Amino acid sequence: MLIDITKCIGCRSCQVACKSWNGLDNETTSFTNDITNPPQMSAKTYTVVNFIETRLHDKPIWRFIKRMCMHCTDPACASACFAKAITKRESGAVVYDKTTCVGCRYCMLACPWWIPKYEWDSVFPAVKKCRFCIDLLEHGKEPACATACPSAIKFGDREEMLALAKKRIAKNPDKYVQHIYGEHEAGGTNVLYLSDVPFTSLGLPAVSSEPLPKLTWDALAKVPYLAGGVGLTMTAMYLFTHRKNAVAEAQREKIIDKAGE
Amino acid sequence: MGEKVVKMGSFSFRITFIRIVLLLVALFGASIMLYRLIFGLGAATNLNDSWPFGLWIAVDVMLGVALAAGGFTTAGLVYIFNLKEYKPLAKPAILTAWLGYLLVIVGLGMDVGLWYNWWRPIFNWGYTSVLFEVFICVLAYNVVLLVEFLPVLSKRFNWKKVYEVSTFVAIPAVIAGIILSSMHQSSLGALFLIMPEKMNPLWYTSLLPWLFLLSAIAVGPAMVTFESFLASRTYNMEFEKDILGRLIKGVALISAVYVALKLWDLEARGYLSALFDGTLASNMFLVELALFIIPTLLIIFNSKRLSQKTIVAGAVLIVAGVVVNRLNVLFMGLYQAAHMSYFPALTEFAVTFGIISMGCLAYLFIVENFEVFTHEEVKLPKESAPVMTISRGSKQESF
Amino acid sequence: MTNHWIDYKNSDVILVIGANPAENHPMSMKWIHRAQEERGAKLIVVDPRYSRTCASADIVGHIRPGTDIAFINGLMNYAIENKKYHYEYLLNYTNASYLVRDDYAYLDGEFTGLQKINGKEVYDRSTWKYQTDSDGKPLKDLTLEHPRSVFQLLKKHVERYDIDTVCQVTGCSRDIYETIARTYCSTGLPGKAGNIIYAMGVTQHTVGSQNVRALAILQLLLGNMGIAGGGVNAQRGECNVQGSTDMAMLFHLVPGYMGVPRDHLHPTLADYNMKETPSSGYWSNKPKFFVSLLKAFYGDNATAANDFGYDYFPKSDNKDHSHQSIIADIDKEIIKGVILWGQNPVVGGPNTNFTINAFKKLDWMVAVDLFETESASFWKAPGVNPQEVDTEVFLLPAASVYEKEGSVTNSGRWIQWRYQAIEPIGECKSDLWLVDRLFNEIRELYAAEGGAYPDPILKMNWNYGGSFEKKPDVKKVALEINGYDVATGKGITTFGALKDDGSTACGCWIYAGYFADPEDPACKRRELEAPGGLGLHSKYAYAWPINRRILYNRCSADPQGKPWDASRALFSYELGQWKNLDVPDFNATLAPEASGANPFIMTAEGVGRLFSDSVGDGPFPEHFEPVESPVKNIFNKRDHNPIANIWRDDFSRLIEKGDPNFPIIATTMRVCEHYQSGVMTRNLPSLVELMPEMFVEISHELAEDYNIKPGDMVYISSPRGQIRVKAMITSRIKPLTIMGGKHHFISLPWHWGYSGLSIGESANKLVPNVGDANTSIPESKAFMCNIRKA
Repeated sequence: MLIDITKCIGCRSCQVACKSWNGLDNETTSFTNDITNPPQMSAKTYTVVNFIETRLHDKPIWRFIKRMCMHCTDPACASACFAKAITKRESGAVVYDKTTCVGCRYCMLACPWWIPKYEWDSVFPAVKKCRFCIDLLEHGKEPACATACPSAIKFGDREEMLALAKKRIAKNPDKYVQHIYGEHEAGGTNVLYLSDVPFTSLGLPAVSSEPLPKLTWDALAKVPYLAGGVGLTMTAMYLFTHRKNAVAEAQREKIIDKAGE
Repeated sequence: MGEKVVKMGSFSFRITFIRIVLLLVALFGASIMLYRLIFGLGAATNLNDSWPFGLWIAVDVMLGVALAAGGFTTAGLVYIFNLKEYKPLAKPAILTAWLGYLLVIVGLGMDVGLWYNWWRPIFNWGYTSVLFEVFICVLAYNVVLLVEFLPVLSKRFNWKKVYEVSTFVAIPAVIAGIILSSMHQSSLGALFLIMPEKMNPLWYTSLLPWLFLLSAIAVGPAMVTFESFLASRTYNMEFEKDILGRLIKGVALISAVYVALKLWDLEARGYLSALFDGTLASNMFLVELALFIIPTLLIIFNSKRLSQKTIVAGAVLIVAGVVVNRLNVLFMGLYQAAHMSYFPALTEFAVTFGIISMGCLAYLFIVENFEVFTHEEVKLPKESAPVMTISRGSKQESF
Repeated sequence: MTNHWIDYKNSDVILVIGANPAENHPMSMKWIHRAQEERGAKLIVVDPRYSRTCASADIVGHIRPGTDIAFINGLMNYAIENKKYHYEYLLNYTNASYLVRDDYAYLDGEFTGLQKINGKEVYDRSTWKYQTDSDGKPLKDLTLEHPRSVFQLLKKHVERYDIDTVCQVTGCSRDIYETIARTYCSTGLPGKAGNIIYAMGVTQHTVGSQNVRALAILQLLLGNMGIAGGGVNAQRGECNVQGSTDMAMLFHLVPGYMGVPRDHLHPTLADYNMKETPSSGYWSNKPKFFVSLLKAFYGDNATAANDFGYDYFPKSDNKDHSHQSIIADIDKEIIKGVILWGQNPVVGGPNTNFTINAFKKLDWMVAVDLFETESASFWKAPGVNPQEVDTEVFLLPAASVYEKEGSVTNSGRWIQWRYQAIEPIGECKSDLWLVDRLFNEIRELYAAEGGAYPDPILKMNWNYGGSFEKKPDVKKVALEINGYDVATGKGITTFGALKDDGSTACGCWIYAGYFADPEDPACKRRELEAPGGLGLHSKYAYAWPINRRILYNRCSADPQGKPWDASRALFSYELGQWKNLDVPDFNATLAPEASGANPFIMTAEGVGRLFSDSVGDGPFPEHFEPVESPVKNIFNKRDHNPIANIWRDDFSRLIEKGDPNFPIIATTMRVCEHYQSGVMTRNLPSLVELMPEMFVEISHELAEDYNIKPGDMVYISSPRGQIRVKAMITSRIKPLTIMGGKHHFISLPWHWGYSGLSIGESANKLVPNVGDANTSIPESKAFMCNIRKA
C-alpha cells in the first residue's frame, strides 16, 4: 500500500470504511482543535487520519496522514508474540488471532509505531489492530480503506508500489522528500509513505532500517550457548569442588581408619 | 502482646499484629484480584494503550523474578561451588525463590488478558519471542524450584520415595535452575531490546540482558542477606555475620562490575554526558547508579571489619538499586515515547501488596511448619512430625 | 457543469474558486491530482480560508468573502492588458465583435435602464442589446477595435480592476495575485486548457449570478469553453442536485429549463410559445419540448383542441416564490401548509430564528425525511413552548438511497441508475410511493367531492401502477421522463424526435434517450472503456443532452475543424469528414466553417456571450460589496448590488457599515464529514465520531485579541441571532488586510441543529435575509457578526 501524503485530502473515507468493514464500534468523541478524531488509534479505531498544520517553503500548510498498521515485512509484534497469535501472512498482512493469545501485550510494546491496541474494557480482551482486511485480500480485493480512498492510496505488490513511488519522486524531485518511508524502516514495511514534508513533522518516528526482531533474536540466539555454557561450567564446577571434597573426605576416612586401627 | 496460635492438624500458625495486617492486605488484594477477573483490566487498572505494561509487570514480575534470584545464586554457591558455609542460607533462599516464582505466576495471571490461554505457548511455540523463553524458563524453573524444595516438603509429609528421588535429582536440579535462571533473568532485559526507538537511550543498550543478569546475581545474595536479617529478628536467631559478610563482599564485587559495565556502556554509546542534563529520566538514572555505587563503596571500604549494620545497609541499598533499576527500565525507559500518562491505580497497588503479603505469610507459615532453617541433615522422622525444631547456631527456640 | 468530473484530469490549470472539492466533492480530487501528476497541471485555490483543498494546491490565494468579481474582473483585465486572451476563439466563438447599442452605458455602479418599480430598483434591459442591420442581424466589427464592440466595452469595463485595486479590495497579496493571474491566463494560449471549478462560495452572494457570469466570461476570453480540460464547472452540493434542477425544482422553471408559464404573460399556449421561443438557436424548438411536456402531463386529455391541456398547467403569479419569500409568506400567513420533502429550512435556510417563528403560524406541515429534522421538530426547538404551537406536523419516514430504485444525475450531467439494495426498514417508503399515494388520494378526493377546478388533477396522466400495497413502477416514470411516441408507447432516443403536434410525450426533453429502452436503458450502462484517453466514458451511464460529455464542444477545434490541441481532440475535420470522440454539439453534417459560426447552439446568436442581457443585474459583472460589509465599495458609488433582493423587515435587521458592534466578517462552510443541514450525517455515529461538535474557525490573531483558547465556548452574534459554539484556533484563517485596515474573519460550518445524535447551534441563525438579484440565493458567504468569549 502506498500512501501519498501530497494526495491525501483528509476526507477520512478510509476511517469510515475501516470501521464499517471491520464492524468496529464508534467512539464517543468530542471537539478537537486540530480536527483529528478520534484523537488516536484504539481497540475501536484501526486507522486515524492525523491533521497537521506545518510549514513548507516557509508557508503554512496543512497535511493529513493516515496512520495504520505498517504491516512490516518482518514484524516486531509477530516476533514478540510467544503464542503465535500474530502471524505474517503470505499476502503481507500481519494478522492477529485471539484464539491463542494469552494477552501479555508484549506486541504492543514491541511495535515501534504503537499500533496494537487493547480492549481494556473487555473481561476477555483481544489485541486490536489493522488486519489489512485480510478477508478482502484473500478474495483478491483491496483493503476497505484503499477502496474508499479518492486519491492518496494505491494498493498492489510491494515491489510495484515501490516502483511507483520511485517514479513519482523521479518525476517530481523538487516536490517530494527523497525518501520512501517504509522502504527500509524496521526492515521494510508493506505500508509506504511519500511526502513533500519531512516525515518527522508528520509524526512518523525515525525508525532504523534493521528489522526489530533481529535485535531480540540476536540475544535469543545466544541463549543456547549461554545455557550450555552455564550448564557445562556448573557441572564442571560441581565435579571439581566435589572431587576436592571427596578427596578430602577420603583422606579424612583414611585418617579415621588409621586411628581406628 | 497476646499471641495466639492457630492449629490445624499438625500445622500451626502464630498470629501476631503484623500477621493480621498482612492477612488483611492479602485478603484485600485477593478480593481485588477477583474484581479484576470479573470486570477486566480496564476496570481494575490504569493501564492504557501507551502503557500495556504497568505496576504488575514491573513489580510482580520483573522485580519478583529479580529479587528471587537468591534461589539460584545461593543454591549454586552451596551445591555447585560446594561452599558449605553458606548451606544454612540455601533452603530459605530456595523457599523464597519458589514462593517468589509462584507469586510471579499469580501476578502474571492477573496481568495477562486471556489467562485461560496461559498454556497455549506450550503448543504454539512463538520461539522468536523473548517472552517465549521467559515463559518456558519460568515454568520450568518453578518445577525445578519445587524439586529443589521437595526434600523439605517430603520430609515433613513423610513421603519417603519422593524424598529419595528428590535428593537424588537435587544436583541436576540445581544446575538446571542455574541455567534457567541465567536464561530468563537475562531475557527479562532482552525483552526491551525490541524497542530501540521507543526506549530512553540511557537504558536502551544491547547489553540489557547482561546487565539484568549481573544485577540479578548481585541482588540474589543481597536479598538473602536482607531476609536473613529479617529472619534473625523475627525468630530471634543469630545474624550470621561471617557468612553474610563474605556473601555481601561478593555482592559488592559484582555490583562494582555492574556499575563499571553500565558506565562504560554509556560512554561507548555517547550518552554519558546526557546523565547530567537534569531531566527526570537522567536524575532517576543517577539515583539508580547511586544505589549501586554507595553500598559497593560502603562494603569495599569496610571490608576488613564489616558490621551487621553495614552488611544489612549494603544489602538493602543494592536491593533498592535493583528495584529502582527495574522500575526505571520500564517507566523511565518508555516515559518519553508514551503519548498517554500512567500512574498505577489503587487497585493495582492493592493487588501488588496483596501478592507480597501472601508471599510473606506463606514464607512464615512454611518456615514455621517445615524444616527450613537448619544446616543439620535431619533424619526423616518415623512418625508424623512432632513439634518442629529450628536449630541454628547455639540458640534454639521451640514454638 | 459544462464538462464532467473525469475531465478534470485533462486540465493544464485548474482554478477552484468558492468551492472546496476536497471536503465537499472528495472524489473529484482524484482527477485533479491526476492532472497534477500526469500533466504537471497547476491547481489554484482561491478561498477566504485555507481549506482541505488548499492542501493540494500549487497556489493558494486568500480573498475576502464577497470579492470574487473584483478578483475575476482583475484576471480579465490582466488577460486583456497582456494580450493573454485567445484571439481566434474570441473572434469566432464569442460576441466580442458584436456592436452594442449606442444608448447602452455603464456609469458608476449603474447600467442603463435602472428604474424604481414599487419602491424596488430593477433594470429595464432594453438597451442591453446589439446594434442590428435592417434584417435584425447584429452588426459586428471583426477588428474588435470598434468602441461599441463588446470587446472594447468589456476592456473598458474591467480596466478599473488593476492589480493594486483588486488586491486592496480582496485582501489578496500582490505577489500571489500576480502569480495566479500569470498562471491562469497562460491557458489563453491556443491548445491550453484552464478549468474553473466553483460552488456555493461563488453563488451564495447578492452578486451570485454575476459571479458565475464573470467566470464564464473569463473562460470565453481564454478560449476555455467547450474543450477537454476546460469549462465552467459547478460542483453541485449533492449527488442529485443536478437532477432536481433539471426536473425544475426552482419556482421559475418547468422541467428542461423552460420558463414557467405566467398567467399575465402567457394566458394561452400560443402566447407562451410566441413569447418564450427565440427565433434562432436551438431553443427555437421549444414548442416541441413544451407540448411534449404537456402530453406527458395530461396524456390522452391533452389534445390539439384544448391546447394540450395548457389550461390545466399551473401558472406563476409573477411573484417571487424562492425560499426566502416562501418563509416570509408563511410568516404573513399567506401560506398555511407546507410539505418539506427532504428539506430542512430551520438549519439550511438563512435567519433560522425567523423561520422557526414563521413555522409556528402554519396550520400543518408534512415532513418527509430519514430522520426527524429540526424543521419537523420546530415546535420543540430551544425556546419554543410546544403548547403554544398549533401546527399539526406529519412526519413521513422516507426510504434511504439504498432502499429504493431510480436515477441520479451528477454534476457532470451523467444520469446513472441506482438499484435497490434492501427493503426499507420499518414503515419507510420510497419517495415515489409517497408521492404516488399522495396524488392518488387527492385525486380520489377530487373525484368524490369535486372542487373549484378539479380537472388539472383529474385529467392528469398518472398511472404508474402503484397502490398502498404495491410499489409504483419506477420504470414507467423513467420512461415518461425520457419521452415516448404516443402511438406506439416506445421510448424516443433523442429530443430531435419530439413534435409539437401531440404525437410525442416527454417529461423532460433534455433527458431524451436516457431510458429509451426500459429493459436496457442507457443510464444503466457501465462499460469502462474510454477511447481517446480523455476519460469521456461514453458508454458509462448517459449524459444529457444526448450523451454529450462536453458541452459547446465545437469550440474544441478551430473554425476549420482542426483541434486546438491534438492531444485533447474531441473532434477533428479530416478529409472532408468529422472524426468524433464526443457527441457533437453542432450540426456535424455541415462544413466546419458553417458549424464554427454557430458553436453555442443554445444562444440565439450562436456564440458565447461576453455581454449578455440574460442576467438581471447587468450585462457585465461589476463588483459590489456584500450587503453587510466592513468597507465601502471603491469601484463605484453604489455600495451593494442595486437590485439585490433584500427583505428589510423587523425579522431581518441588517448591520450597517462600520457598526462597531459587529466588526467581524463571517462566512459559512461545509466540512467533509457532514452533509448540508446534517440530517443524514449528524445521525450517523461513524460521522459524528469524526466531527462531533459545532465549532467556529478563528485565527490565532483573533484568539489573542479576544483572549480565546482552543475549545473555549464563544458567542457569535448578529442582529438575527446568537449562537454558542466551540472555538477552533488555527493558522488556516488569517485576518484580512483590506485597504490598509485589518479585519478579523471567521468561518462557521452550517451543519448543526438541535435534533439528532450530534446537536449544535446553527450558523444560519446569523445569516441575513438578503439574496441574489436573480435567484434570491441567500448571502450566507459574506456577512458581519461579533464574537465574544462565553
